[in-house]
Amino acid sequence: MEKVIMGNHAVSFGVQLARVQVIAAYPITPQTQIVEMLSELCADGRLAAKFIKVESEHSVMAAVVGASIAGARAFTATSSHGLALMHEVLHWAAGGRLPIVAANVNRTLGPGWNVWTEQTDSLAQRDTGWMQLYCETNQEALDLVLLAYRVAEKVLLPVMLVLDAFFLSHTMEPVDVPEQALVDRFLPSFEPQYKLQPGEPCSFYGLVTPEYYMELRHKMHLAMQSALAEITAAGNEFGRLFGRYYGLLEPYRLEDADVVLVTSGSITGTSRVVVDEWRARGHKVGLLKMRVFRPFPFAAVRQALAHAKKVAVLDRDISQGLGGIWASETKGALYGVAEPPVVFPFIIGLGGRDVTPESIHKVLDYTVAHDAPEDDTVWMEVKR
Amino acid sequence: MTYQISFRNEGEMPDLPVSSGTTLYNTTGTWRYVRPVYRNKTSPCNVACPAGEDIAQYLGLVAKGKYQEARLRILEENPFPGVCGRVCPHPCESECNRAELGGSISIHMVERFLADLAGGAPVQRLPSNAPAGATVAIVGSGPAGLSCAYQLARRGYPVTVFEAWDDLGGTMRLGIPAYRLPRHVLDAEIAAIARLGVEMCTGRRLGDNLSTADLRAFSAVFLAVGQQKSRALEVAGEDAQGVVAGLDFLRRVNLGMPVEVGARVAVVGGGNTAMDAARAALRLGAQTVTVLYRRSRYEMPAIAEEVQEAQDEGICFEFLTTPVRVLTEDGAIRGLQCVRMQLGAPDGTGRRRPEPLAGSEYTLNVDVLIPALGQEADLAFLEHWAGGGLAQTLSMANGLLETDAAAQSSQTGIFVGGDSATGFGTVAHAVGSGKRAALAIDRYLHGEDLNGFPALDQHVHAAPRDLDPAVVRFADLNLAYFEELPRPEPKQRPAIERKRDFAEVTDGLDEQQVQQEAHRCFSCGTCNGCDTCWLYCPDVSISRVDHSDYQVNYDYCKGCGICAQECPRRAIVMEEELKWKK
Amino acid sequence: MIEVRIHGRGGQGAVIASEVLADAVFRAGSYVQSFPAFGVERRGAPVAAFLRFDDQPVRLRCQVYHPDHVMVLDPSLMQVVDVTAGLKDGGWILINSEQPPASFALPSQFRTATVDASAIAIRHRLGPQTAPIVNTAILGAFAYVTGLVKLDMLEVAVRETVPIKPDSNVAAMREAFGAVQCEGKAQP
Repeated sequence: MEKVIMGNHAVSFGVQLARVQVIAAYPITPQTQIVEMLSELCADGRLAAKFIKVESEHSVMAAVVGASIAGARAFTATSSHGLALMHEVLHWAAGGRLPIVAANVNRTLGPGWNVWTEQTDSLAQRDTGWMQLYCETNQEALDLVLLAYRVAEKVLLPVMLVLDAFFLSHTMEPVDVPEQALVDRFLPSFEPQYKLQPGEPCSFYGLVTPEYYMELRHKMHLAMQSALAEITAAGNEFGRLFGRYYGLLEPYRLEDADVVLVTSGSITGTSRVVVDEWRARGHKVGLLKMRVFRPFPFAAVRQALAHAKKVAVLDRDISQGLGGIWASETKGALYGVAEPPVVFPFIIGLGGRDVTPESIHKVLDYTVAHDAPEDDTVWMEVKR
Repeated sequence: MTYQISFRNEGEMPDLPVSSGTTLYNTTGTWRYVRPVYRNKTSPCNVACPAGEDIAQYLGLVAKGKYQEARLRILEENPFPGVCGRVCPHPCESECNRAELGGSISIHMVERFLADLAGGAPVQRLPSNAPAGATVAIVGSGPAGLSCAYQLARRGYPVTVFEAWDDLGGTMRLGIPAYRLPRHVLDAEIAAIARLGVEMCTGRRLGDNLSTADLRAFSAVFLAVGQQKSRALEVAGEDAQGVVAGLDFLRRVNLGMPVEVGARVAVVGGGNTAMDAARAALRLGAQTVTVLYRRSRYEMPAIAEEVQEAQDEGICFEFLTTPVRVLTEDGAIRGLQCVRMQLGAPDGTGRRRPEPLAGSEYTLNVDVLIPALGQEADLAFLEHWAGGGLAQTLSMANGLLETDAAAQSSQTGIFVGGDSATGFGTVAHAVGSGKRAALAIDRYLHGEDLNGFPALDQHVHAAPRDLDPAVVRFADLNLAYFEELPRPEPKQRPAIERKRDFAEVTDGLDEQQVQQEAHRCFSCGTCNGCDTCWLYCPDVSISRVDHSDYQVNYDYCKGCGICAQECPRRAIVMEEELKWKK
Repeated sequence: MIEVRIHGRGGQGAVIASEVLADAVFRAGSYVQSFPAFGVERRGAPVAAFLRFDDQPVRLRCQVYHPDHVMVLDPSLMQVVDVTAGLKDGGWILINSEQPPASFALPSQFRTATVDASAIAIRHRLGPQTAPIVNTAILGAFAYVTGLVKLDMLEVAVRETVPIKPDSNVAAMREAFGAVQCEGKAQP
């Protein structure tokens, strides 16, 4: 059934349909509405889940980890500083091989205190062992909750579902809320191999000596690698059932494109409009939307961009001392390609600054006008 | 007990660091050399209660909302919670460890709340235990006599109480004014005892219309005649008209007999009888009431609250003064000559001895003088005692009837208690004394040895709980768990209003305040199911059923002692394992 | 694509107005997108909400800079905010006011309309008298002025979306539909 709902509630509907059993949360703008709605669903019985209120995000993730060890399908949502506070426990969730799904509504880290969107908060968690999926629309936010659990429970790694503050979280648009019976077919209940049971206690996450630690990490690496195929397979299965296909990447008018915009999140929609205008004017411009950041789909990116001449990567994030994080990974993907495209790394829209069609036009103007970027990163629309 | 797990390759390893099987095989209990044992210890309040109430336990029941259970727990030991909740000087509160952290628990107010509960279950009879044909006579229906009658009647004994006056209750009725103890409260608690089948014979005075021969018909006798003789002032003129002894004055007031107080009343003394007489005189219309006391306020034996309330009502206090002569006119009092005192060296009671200040005489105009200098037992009946068929009279010690720890007098089968034998002078002490006698009489009538009773300065329990005698003091508690919380004070009727009548002065606490008190209670030494041990056990070797009944699984308890260390109230002890292995 | 901007004060219901309108337009078969001006909202402070609708999926994810029409829920905002900023020529400016449109003397490339939504909301007991909730009333006027949404669709959306007093809200909306003062458009 189609409803006009905001991105935050799209996530909540996804969680409800996924029959999540434990939710722990601590409120933070702009995520709060996700767990607000879930708390109501739990309170009035529409969702048979235990809702745990705790005193900080660190405890949130600890509670979710505990629930997941006990075999429950567990969920939380957070944002920005809340995610930063979870950092330590994110490692426990991943190293513990727990199929947790957490939604992160991208919000800028302070100071400057700021509630608006920026991807640095989630991208900064890239080495914790979590998969990361980025959404362009509210529909994608709902659907990817289901996909996330499916993949997480297959490869035994947690998934962070990422959506932009306000441009998705607080924006209402039509979303198809799928039928529960169909969702149940896609996402059956999950029985972990190891779980905490009072009657038959096991020791979890104890000391591992150098003799075996490396093997544990290697197995995790293999699991993360296998997720590329699992996401592809699950995305195809989702498409067969619901009519909406999801892959690692989403190319848009990419065939024969000389100049390619690489985007993620809500910037993608605005960029599509601009690509159409440039195509209408006869330019061979295309777009590559990144859906999966971890595991980073190096091979797929390499293949998608191999024939382009110029690649403009839009980073709504900043790793100080490095530059744009997506650009860095994109360059890594293109290493060793014969005659690789020139990568133009753009920093844009930090702190929630609006990225308008005019902004994207400027990006393309710059990329077309230059043989190579004038600097390691190109900061767009900075008042100098 | 350890063995090395070897993996040849990562494929053999689990995906996550997890034990290969259940950890149950690892019985860490083998490491233990000390073991935790749940052992409830004694709280200071329990030690201090003369009536032998298990305060720590019933406050715990109140905290759980189990009011009727709490009330019945008091009634095991004391049939007068309504009385004691009002008039007891509550020595329990003086010892309370909470005094250090916001004020002692208002124990008497919780007791009063429980006693005043509507719809309370009747007192519980015990399975009848009385030997066939055994009967008991009790002389005196004060708190000692009725406590004894109550405990015996509950155990199935036919009990007859003889009371010299026409009304039951002894000092509770004759001595304590209604504004401190409403009569319906007293009547109800006495009626509950009568309902157990106790025969109440009023108007029977020993040595007058009750003879020792009458008492011989019973298998055992308990004498609890109290102290009803006021000490004399021992100054010239004290037989003048208008001089009335404190006890006599109160008895007339409390029995509703006509009393003339005049405009100016002087009361001599610093005890509770003096306070009661002064405040009763005020309520009867006296314009000025002055209390004369030869020491200072700090030495006054009266309950401090009573003194404060009397002051609030406008009663004047003259400290460090004593009357030396009653001034009379035509055989009636017209004034009092007094002399100022100063405090010298401490006397035998530890209080500083008052000494007259030379040349400080002064005169006070007085219409009525009420000496209330203490009381003693009226033992005139002993003159006829031996003549009643008993071989010898009863022995005396320090002006009291002689008694041993089992409440026995110098004659077999004759037990003594209450103020005439102990001299403590509180309802709670009398209740404890009567209970002691009842338990002793029960044994005596079964032909059992009477040794083994607690000494007279300790308290007896009708239904003792298994408690380690070690007393938990403030320094023993784990203070990390307690914050400072204030003691609620009850409401009182305004002094201007209450001094006009005999209606009760002090309100009880409401349920919320009572809950606050029960939760403020540290439950010193008594496990109250706080789950701290259960939460802290690092080996998950403590189990529980419904926040109580904690069990240690000694197969896994490695004796770390964290449970005992964390227990906020010291209800767990660590004992050497060798002791248990024997 | 049509873009609409709604000006109001925190607490007046500008965001709900955009959501109701979005719902109504969606029910009529259009693709929609509605969102508030992002930020930290305070009761009484100027706020704005936006709406886009189109017969194609709305892909733009940025704020509205060139609206086709503008609604103003509080006439006092006319002195504080430039409600015509970016407004396309020929666009409607619909103001909650009892004054005639000419009294606002707005540039002639725009079309101005007024409706006394406050009085209507008070009559229907929507919100306190001092701060009536005028959003549903002004939507009724918007339906009349622009013809972009049918009153019946709005009614369904109001009943579905507005949390309390659906009947009163619908009645206020219908009353406002017939109480618009505007130039160049006949009274209904």
